[in-house]
Amino acid sequence: MNKTLITGLIIIVIMIAASLFGQYFAPHTLDEHQSVTYVVDENGEGDLTVPPIPPGKQYPLGTDKEGYDMLAKLLAGSKYTIFISLAIAFLRLLLGGIIGLFLGYFSKIKPSRTDKLPIWNMLNGIPIFIIVWMIMIGITMNPAASPLYMSSILAVILTLVGIPTVASTMKEKTMIMREKQFILSAKSIGAGHWTIIRRHIFPHLKESFVILFVQEIVLSLSLFGQLAIFNIFVGGTTMYFDPVQYVSRSNEWSGLIGQARDYLFIYQWVLFIPLIAYIIYILGFHLISVGLEKKYKQQFSKFSHI
Amino acid sequence: MPKALQFSLFVPGILLFVLVFAMFPVVLQADHFEGALSFNWSGGFTSIGDYLKGIWNGQSFHYLSGKTELSFWEQIGRSFTVTFFYITVGGIIGTTLGVLLGVYFAVTRIKWLKRFLELTAVFPDFVIVILLQFLIVIIATETGFVIFDVASFSTDDPAIALPLISTIIIPANYMIRNVALHMSHTLTEDYISFAKARGLGRRYIISYHALPNVLPFIKADLHKFMGILFGNLFIFEYLYNLGGVTMLVFSNAFAFTGYQYSLVVNGIFTLLLLYVIVYGLLRLVILGAEKVFVR
Repeated sequence: MNKTLITGLIIIVIMIAASLFGQYFAPHTLDEHQSVTYVVDENGEGDLTVPPIPPGKQYPLGTDKEGYDMLAKLLAGSKYTIFISLAIAFLRLLLGGIIGLFLGYFSKIKPSRTDKLPIWNMLNGIPIFIIVWMIMIGITMNPAASPLYMSSILAVILTLVGIPTVASTMKEKTMIMREKQFILSAKSIGAGHWTIIRRHIFPHLKESFVILFVQEIVLSLSLFGQLAIFNIFVGGTTMYFDPVQYVSRSNEWSGLIGQARDYLFIYQWVLFIPLIAYIIYILGFHLISVGLEKKYKQQFSKFSHI
Repeated sequence: MPKALQFSLFVPGILLFVLVFAMFPVVLQADHFEGALSFNWSGGFTSIGDYLKGIWNGQSFHYLSGKTELSFWEQIGRSFTVTFFYITVGGIIGTTLGVLLGVYFAVTRIKWLKRFLELTAVFPDFVIVILLQFLIVIIATETGFVIFDVASFSTDDPAIALPLISTIIIPANYMIRNVALHMSHTLTEDYISFAKARGLGRRYIISYHALPNVLPFIKADLHKFMGILFGNLFIFEYLYNLGGVTMLVFSNAFAFTGYQYSLVVNGIFTLLLLYVIVYGLLRLVILGAEKVFVR
């Protein structure tokens, strides 16, 4: 274990714990609502409180424009941000990994370093979040279904669009692995395909799986964010007309960022507090991934001659 | 498959993919009272049919902006220029800068610089854009001096500096990491230590022994690079309010009468055309680099 890995793990564990138990310690709940108040003290000086209230003693992270506590919103949204991103990454790895392992093991083509064909790669010109946008835009505005149901639909779609990249990465790695001598010797002493995949190939790819898992979490988080910029929030979007306003139903963090996009000049905490939470969460996983890479590198790698 | 067959399959394949993929907002509908999902396939195929029919009488090249009907051909020119400008500058400067700095990063021993780069690379593009904008706002409130416009407020007064910076740094960052990774891999090879043993200079080894072996990786990764460039384009055109192709499509995809299938299809075709042009330009740049370094 190195310092980077430990720091990352600590950040993530704290965040998960806060998301699970934070609501019991939070000063305000989502139901509490700060309305416009005017208090006159004994000196006769009036004190007008109008939300949004900046971060201070009463509201540690301030309130939003409607007078709801930002901390309570963040805690409510964290469950969606944290667990759905984990679920997406896990499903992508599970399905994509299995597909990739089998495709790589059974494919007839020799591994090549520079791919010749993929002229189809031109479809890269259409970014993934646009594909998801196309699918979601028809159903995400003012849905009747519950936020959890809407989030699961989004999770399924994000899993499906992410499987091909995971599968092709795993396929390439498997194809390199199956050319190794120990696979040949396992075959020659009569090991079946299943045994070879399970006992010889998979253990060698375990590190790649772990690193890829962490990276997929970061990728799905950035997809959440990009979708949120275009008003598609995890858990569905409530759209108000006149003036047109988009509000996240689940308070998921990237949704909070997306709906507060206009607070760049004034009431900046409404935008920056969710943004900071989101950045720290990504940072935690980034540190884990860097730490893991460092750990594995110390075990396996060659060194530069220059 | 022979290349000619691949290519002849490829063009209709791409066309079909775009046509099918753009009909999703029509096909996938949620019930507004019970929330059940329903698939309206016939509606989807009707919109494809209408589009194909509309090509002949020109109806497919009109769209509504709010309630005003505009001609696609008249409006696309300006948007195309804007997007083309940013994507070309971002692509070419991004690759050049990426390769040069990538080589530097592979041999340098300054650790914190590498770490900083990896850190910025992990943040999604929109976070970087918002942070850049926020930096400008902070400097402006502290000193009263506005360095750059944070976004375009009108078409006559477009923001240029900030979009240019973000269109360069985000793809360049990917390129730098990629080149640095392959470069440091290449530098572990035996022929490098052989060249070193023969007394060749460090700079010579890097440019004539290592770099030629890194260029193929850059070429192979070009599509991914382009993917990042284009994904980034959607985000920053939107956040900086630039009047490019993606903005034209996005801000008008849902007009007064509902979803505009033909506009979205036309917009995506324009983007694919841009993709081909910029990809060709980048291949030319790499070809130039190969002529210099590969012997």
